[in-house]
Amino acid sequence: MKNFEDDFYRLLHLLKTGEPFAFNRFSDGELYMLQNKEVILGDHMVKIGDRVEKGPYHEEDFKRFHPEEHAFYRDRLIDAFRFTKNNYFKGLSCRCCVGEENFSWQLEFHGEYDENFTWANLLVNGNYPKFIREMYPVFNDYKTVFICNRKNDLSVMPFVVKDFRVGYNAMVNDYGLIEVIKNWIDENKVEGHLFLFSASAFSKMAIYQLYEHCDRNTYMDVGTTLNPFMNMRLDRTYLKSFWLGAKGEDLKKICIW
Amino acid sequence: MIKIVSGLSVPVGSTVALVNLCNQFNDRGHNCVLYGPDKWHLDKCRAAAIFDFHPENGDIVIVHNIKLFSSAELYKLPEKIEQLRQQTRLGSLKDMIFKSVPRPREHAGIKLILSCQENDLFPIRQLRYALFDKIHFADFSQASYHRIAQDHFICPNFSNRLITSERKPDRIAGVIGSIRKKNQIELSVENAFADGMESVIIYGYLSDPIYYYSRIQPLAKKYPGRIRYAGFIDDRQKMYDSISDVYRAVAKSWSLIRRECRLTNTRYHGPDPSKGGSMTDDQIFAVWKDQLGL
Repeated sequence: MKNFEDDFYRLLHLLKTGEPFAFNRFSDGELYMLQNKEVILGDHMVKIGDRVEKGPYHEEDFKRFHPEEHAFYRDRLIDAFRFTKNNYFKGLSCRCCVGEENFSWQLEFHGEYDENFTWANLLVNGNYPKFIREMYPVFNDYKTVFICNRKNDLSVMPFVVKDFRVGYNAMVNDYGLIEVIKNWIDENKVEGHLFLFSASAFSKMAIYQLYEHCDRNTYMDVGTTLNPFMNMRLDRTYLKSFWLGAKGEDLKKICIW
Repeated sequence: MIKIVSGLSVPVGSTVALVNLCNQFNDRGHNCVLYGPDKWHLDKCRAAAIFDFHPENGDIVIVHNIKLFSSAELYKLPEKIEQLRQQTRLGSLKDMIFKSVPRPREHAGIKLILSCQENDLFPIRQLRYALFDKIHFADFSQASYHRIAQDHFICPNFSNRLITSERKPDRIAGVIGSIRKKNQIELSVENAFADGMESVIIYGYLSDPIYYYSRIQPLAKKYPGRIRYAGFIDDRQKMYDSISDVYRAVAKSWSLIRRECRLTNTRYHGPDPSKGGSMTDDQIFAVWKDQLGL
């Protein structure tokens, strides 16, 4: 039986021992894109298919995926989702967070079961305190490259040696950056580096393509986990609970498989 | 066998001290295992999870940071530690009551030592300290602080093995210590900048994220680009090699930082309450050997 905490420590062990890996996350936003539903994250709103709800999103989160207009990017997302390779870990949305039906849909859409499946939420919820206290310090052992929004301030993190910036809806607008990063890796013979991504759906396509291109580096999608160090808002409930002491159950939540 | 068991094994000064103690025992031919409820310690010495702790006849058990009220609790430590971690006001009240209820010593054949690495964080008067054969203090000041009438000995913690590196940076300050209000990290940061340091790197376990976000994060805005947070890093040599100066705002006479600054040729700024010279590892071990009857 897969265990939420054990999977976290599996990645931490790889990181500590310097064994390269990739950790890619397919959360609910990517799930809906894979399901070919229209996705719009707008100013304080979310549209999924025909359903419109309020959402905690701001300018840097803006995303628009239209199934017909953006079919090319969905195909690249599918490539990332179905790619299998040693130490290429795919975080899926878990049944406790997106429901049984969506969870099963992912597995069916993927095809053959991948031993490297893990949780998209692996670094958050009940694992978030461990991520900040135990994994974040290990980043100091690496020359770290950060790929994130151009609004992010990276100066607090002493391990960052290089950054690449994206804007809003980066999956579409900054797709070409993947090739730029590949060239940078080749030209500078970059190996043994850690690449951290906080660039929404762009991260998923980039992590897959970069790990396929050069598997001698480690690539991790850290999502919003490092927002407090980047002068960004704490608009996720797990962040509010941990950093502000807000009431909530997220930090106690141990996701199930 | 010597079994060290701690109520926490996250990377803070006390855990580092216990790891060093465990390694010293084993290096000098005395079987020793460190047990703890967290995972950080597991690859730092001969170590095991708290669930694997089973006291046996003939053992010397060194207890740290666990409020024991009876010998029986020694045999169900995982539950005890879990209870302590979820401690409520009602739980504290129960502790007070349990403390006053007479209990027999049920650990015949086991030598029980309490190792004290804290002052206010672990008030010995609040536990049933008579259960212990001896109490270890890492410094004279702790014995004065706790003021208990129980057989005790004073012995500093073993040093980390550090050297002075050829290349040191200039005007890069390090603030070392767990991130919590008591350690007044924000004051150390301010002092470093007041002394003309170019930047400050904060090294320490994030004990209190709410304190960090309310007191340290605003400083990162006040001094843009000049404050960095590294967290607790295992490689202390690397830490000292990255800084020219250390700033501390609180006095902990049993802390190793003052001594480590001397070893690494790092300037130390802060209170220095230590009295007398430091002991060598051989001298420290001799005290343990004598006190434990090894």
